[in-house]
Amino acid sequence: MKGIFSVLVENRDGVLSGISGLFARRGYNIDSLAVGETEQRDVSSMTIVSTGDSRTIDQIEKHLNKKLDVIKVRRLDESRSIMLEMLLVKVGYTMGNRASLIELCNVMGAKIMHLSPKAMVIEMHSDPERVEEFIELVRNFGILELQRTGTIAVAKG
Amino acid sequence: MNGAQAMVECLKLEGVTKIFGIPGVAIAPFYDAVYQEPAVEHVLMRQEQNAGHAASGYSRISRKPAVCVTSSGPGATNLITALATAYADSIPLIAITGQVDSHLLGRDVFQEADMRGATESFVKYSYLVKSPDDIPRIMKEAFFVASTGRKGPVLIDIPCDVQRMEMKKPFKYPDEVNMRGYKPNTKGNAQQLAKVIDAINHSKKPLICAGGGVILGEGEEVVRAFCEKNNIPLVSTMMGIGVLRKSHPLYFGMLGNNGKPYANRAVANSDLLIVVGARIADRAVPKPENLEQQVKVIHIDIDTAEIGKNLGPTLPLVGDVRNIFQALLESDIHIDTKAWLEKLEDIKKNTVDTRHFSDRFVNPMLFVQSLSEKMEEDAIYVADVGQNQLWSADNYVMKAGRFLTTGGMGTMGYSIPAALGAMVCAPGKQVVAVCGDGSFQMSMNELATAAVNKIPLKVIVVKNRYLGLVKEYQHKNYDDRFSGVKLYDYPKYDKFAEAYDMKFFHVENNEERDGILDAFLACEHSALLVCEVDSGDVTV
Repeated sequence: MKGIFSVLVENRDGVLSGISGLFARRGYNIDSLAVGETEQRDVSSMTIVSTGDSRTIDQIEKHLNKKLDVIKVRRLDESRSIMLEMLLVKVGYTMGNRASLIELCNVMGAKIMHLSPKAMVIEMHSDPERVEEFIELVRNFGILELQRTGTIAVAKG
Repeated sequence: MNGAQAMVECLKLEGVTKIFGIPGVAIAPFYDAVYQEPAVEHVLMRQEQNAGHAASGYSRISRKPAVCVTSSGPGATNLITALATAYADSIPLIAITGQVDSHLLGRDVFQEADMRGATESFVKYSYLVKSPDDIPRIMKEAFFVASTGRKGPVLIDIPCDVQRMEMKKPFKYPDEVNMRGYKPNTKGNAQQLAKVIDAINHSKKPLICAGGGVILGEGEEVVRAFCEKNNIPLVSTMMGIGVLRKSHPLYFGMLGNNGKPYANRAVANSDLLIVVGARIADRAVPKPENLEQQVKVIHIDIDTAEIGKNLGPTLPLVGDVRNIFQALLESDIHIDTKAWLEKLEDIKKNTVDTRHFSDRFVNPMLFVQSLSEKMEEDAIYVADVGQNQLWSADNYVMKAGRFLTTGGMGTMGYSIPAALGAMVCAPGKQVVAVCGDGSFQMSMNELATAAVNKIPLKVIVVKNRYLGLVKEYQHKNYDDRFSGVKLYDYPKYDKFAEAYDMKFFHVENNEERDGILDAFLACEHSALLVCEVDSGDVTV
């Protein structure tokens, strides 16, 4: 199963390495990790997505809570939270398939950020599943470079 | 007041009177401050790892955080094994390590080692001190973190220039700690508690499995009272030895691979196992998944992360052992365990020990029994690691004293420095360190510390000229291909004892055992006793 954790931590040196070290040491997966400051400058927010059986996901939550620099751990339910990822992808094109690539971007809500004679840089932000779908769709055109952020998530309501 | 003086002042305010360590340039300002503070006495050890173990021994007797100090670089990295040992055994330590000057950090200068990084997984928390004005807060937090919740070591890495720097603000030791990420839960959830009481009331064959957490949480008395009030029997892990006396009618021994077979059979026959302050690690319960299917398990621990780690699903109850057992003691529990206790007695009587011991040498089981029976009522027995540890744990006659060993990390060489620490904490108490000839040679340099400080240390070497436990393992699993385990007949123990001004005793057979043990224990001087056992003797 998937575990999505929204973790508030002290904005201090060594905290990120402590958290990532916890995953490495105990053999837990990190599928994605996004870190940034919150509205309080001394608090950072991490969104960590992990997969494992339910016992592992429970253990991750407990071990995160055990860290002294962790202020709060929230486990997010996929269906009850807004999840977002951002993608930047450089795709090669020919005059023959240019139109269909532009059309694909329009359909999927992706934005063309830069156009050069042989490639375009496309930006997309959406839920992780849709980002994944889009990557699969542009794969046929030829991906030259791809960058994607980790998931950030906020519970609804 | 400079940073170093502030640190020593904090130690004084925390009531620390003894610290263990080895100085160096990067911690020199601190040592200068200690020199000028008569209330804080330094015990110079011979290796940093042993300073950590000595602090561990001290802490286990004082039941408060104990302090060890090293310089930077190799001095600090030498301490890591002791920190890992204390972390695995949940012993509260404050480790102060000197560091290169702040502006040199990260430049790989002489004796620089990234201690926060290196100890990340072996300490409960760590600090790199950046300003002398942070010291009072950091020290207050460090003592609080080390000694509350699940106890453990805390590292304070302090650059040399921060030790020298004058504080800008006046020194003020905070009254309380405010860490928003650290609020240990001690009370125990009332709803869970009700479920636990209900489960006990519905059980016919309840059994308590007490781990080291009971002792760390100072819960021996209340757990004992609970057992006695409700006639519930108890087994212990190696770290839990000491909750009940060996002669207690409700005590059914140490469980595990190296424990009493009847203790394991008691677990298998129970219908409700109440695990308290134990990790359920592989040595105690080799196949936790079998246990889960056989019996209902209640898991009580101060550390939420222990619940479900090795054992699950269980009925969990998170909190402090004293609070929880006080509540259980006062609750309405009515069970009749008479038939269950009779069955356990039966199991105990009918479990035959099939181990064979050579009679050409000293029988290690009888030796440990006789030794611990002869030791004073409140004596401290410090067991090292190896076959000696397993023979000790298995045969130690628990009275009102303490049994100290490292059950979690299993660090060889623990017993001598830990015994020294215990003796510094409780002068006048009878303390005996029991080690093998392998573990002895890992910390024998500390005999100098005992001699210099006039500590009447008593050391027993259970000698078989081998790294015995590895040899036993190779015997069972590698067809007697004994690889790298032979120690030969060194050192010459009589000469060694002489070199360190110790009286020397030598037991070669069962007949002379009791007489020599009497003389050894009566000796007021520090003493070394070598007990010859057959290298073919096994633990299991």
